[in-house]
Amino acid sequence: MKSFYKISFLLFLLVFVSSCSSDDGGIVELTGKGMVKIEFDNSMDGDDLLLSSSSYTNSQSETLTVSRLNYIVSNFSLTDEYGNIFSYPKDSGYFITSEESGNTEVVLSDVPAGRYTSMTFGIGVDQEKYSQGAEGQGDFLTVAEETNMMWSWQAGYKFLNFEGTFTSPTVTDDKNFKIHMGSHGSSLDNYKETTLTFDTQALVSDDLSPIIHLVVDASFILDGINKISLTEQAVIMVSEEKSPKIAVNVSNMFSVDHVHNGNDISH
Amino acid sequence: MKNYIISFVLLTSIFSLKGNTLLNDSGTFINSETLLYCDCDTCGCGVNGGSMGFGTGLNNNFIGLRYIAQRYRSRDGIFDNSPWINENFNTMQLWTQLPIGQRFMVDAIIPYQFHSREFSDNTEQYINGLGDATVLGFYQILKQTTDIIRFTKPQHILQLGGGLKIPTGKFKEENLEGSVNPSFQLGTGSWDYLFAGNYGVTHRNWGLSLMANYTLKSKNDKEYRFGNQFNYALNTYKTYYFGTNFALTPQVGVGGELFEKNEEYGLVVNDTGGNVFFGKAGFEINYKTLALGVSTMLPIVQNLNGGRVEVKNRFSVYLNINIPLKSNKGNQQLPQFSQFPKEKN
Repeated sequence: MKSFYKISFLLFLLVFVSSCSSDDGGIVELTGKGMVKIEFDNSMDGDDLLLSSSSYTNSQSETLTVSRLNYIVSNFSLTDEYGNIFSYPKDSGYFITSEESGNTEVVLSDVPAGRYTSMTFGIGVDQEKYSQGAEGQGDFLTVAEETNMMWSWQAGYKFLNFEGTFTSPTVTDDKNFKIHMGSHGSSLDNYKETTLTFDTQALVSDDLSPIIHLVVDASFILDGINKISLTEQAVIMVSEEKSPKIAVNVSNMFSVDHVHNGNDISH
Repeated sequence: MKNYIISFVLLTSIFSLKGNTLLNDSGTFINSETLLYCDCDTCGCGVNGGSMGFGTGLNNNFIGLRYIAQRYRSRDGIFDNSPWINENFNTMQLWTQLPIGQRFMVDAIIPYQFHSREFSDNTEQYINGLGDATVLGFYQILKQTTDIIRFTKPQHILQLGGGLKIPTGKFKEENLEGSVNPSFQLGTGSWDYLFAGNYGVTHRNWGLSLMANYTLKSKNDKEYRFGNQFNYALNTYKTYYFGTNFALTPQVGVGGELFEKNEEYGLVVNDTGGNVFFGKAGFEINYKTLALGVSTMLPIVQNLNGGRVEVKNRFSVYLNINIPLKSNKGNQQLPQFSQFPKEKN
């Protein structure tokens, strides 16, 4: 009987402990500003993209070994749970991601606190920015030149620089391919935007800096909605017919793998 | 505050034990027939809990050491060709089961963890330290009757209980490295609540046991919450006696674990949760008051963390000292066969 009282007391204590440690429903107050990191994780049809080492065969029986994948991403905007849109300042809103340099992360700073549910960004440089002239480009012009993302000021930016070698049933020796897609001056506008919805809200505050981990499937560039044959044409630069098709393919190559909430964490 | 409360609970339970351990009526036999012991090993596998389902028997009161090795592999990256990395979870537990009075018993586990994993760039990560301690109390609804009747008809055992897992193991956000196993931790960092039930039936040398437990996990101070976990196991065993001092109990069984998805800041974490179904085999050797047990678990079906984490195997070995209890019913008549002699003194 004595033990019964003791046990009762013990159980009472357990209940007491559990009631005072019950959690507060997971509602986190978000205030201030934080950073949003966007990781562009380049891949080829489900496999990690390994430059110059792994090869991949597309639906057109062309086997590609990629040696370069650079692209311009720009004009980021984030939409929160209430539909409020935060647009990143246009002056600092242009980024180049480059697999060869390993620079595949875009960092947006001073993003207002909130629970973000989707993100929109552009691939390339829009006409508004381009029409500001060479002076209006600021440092970005230099960065683009250094990363092989310019033809010349007159010809414009390369939005995508995708290079490597390929073989196909009719091309049996490795042949170089070069896909350079962009707007050509103001005559051909290939700037596209894409909107991605997050499966997990991205939480931003003074204490929280989420990482939005995107998967970029580069097989879409030639083998997306539009089929582009390298056997037919291995170097595509200024092409009024093919560049717009590639631009559409490229705008569909991004998807969200996961959102990682927290502060100063790896992904 | 929590620490004070829990220390108090622990002290209270220890105090209770001292007062009552000598008043059990279950006799002194030291074999491990029931093998029902629900270890509710909530922090065996990193934090996932390697439910190495069997231990020593219900009627046993023991203190012992158990080593659990768990081998996992998990994908470092999100792609089909991302490398697999090997993860080794090692746990050394001090575990005990003690009765309090006639119908209550308390189980306690204090683990020490030493885990390692090797990344594809050949760097290794080691973590070691105290894991999460668990205290469980059981009420024995049905318990074995005295020794004499035991061998004439089947005996049923039913125990229901609950307990607490205490965040004595450290949870580090840094260990949530990429997409690799988020359970590579010493503890969950959370106060978790356990509900457990054991059922067993024994007849002559044979036994069958069924155990189930559910762990309700709370969020830790890093705003991470591991998914609630349901474990179950079914074991059968038979005890062979060799002379008066030795017994051997081989056992086979199946068991499973179901995990809900983890949450971070109240939001579901992708590629977490899942389930695994194991086959198990093992044996226990008894010599006088010593019990040496070995068991291994191999996965039959699994889908953990969206396929990004795989259990390879689990192995455990333990050495327990059974604590003989004085009977409060005087000298019991023991059956002539199959029983160990009572401990001298």
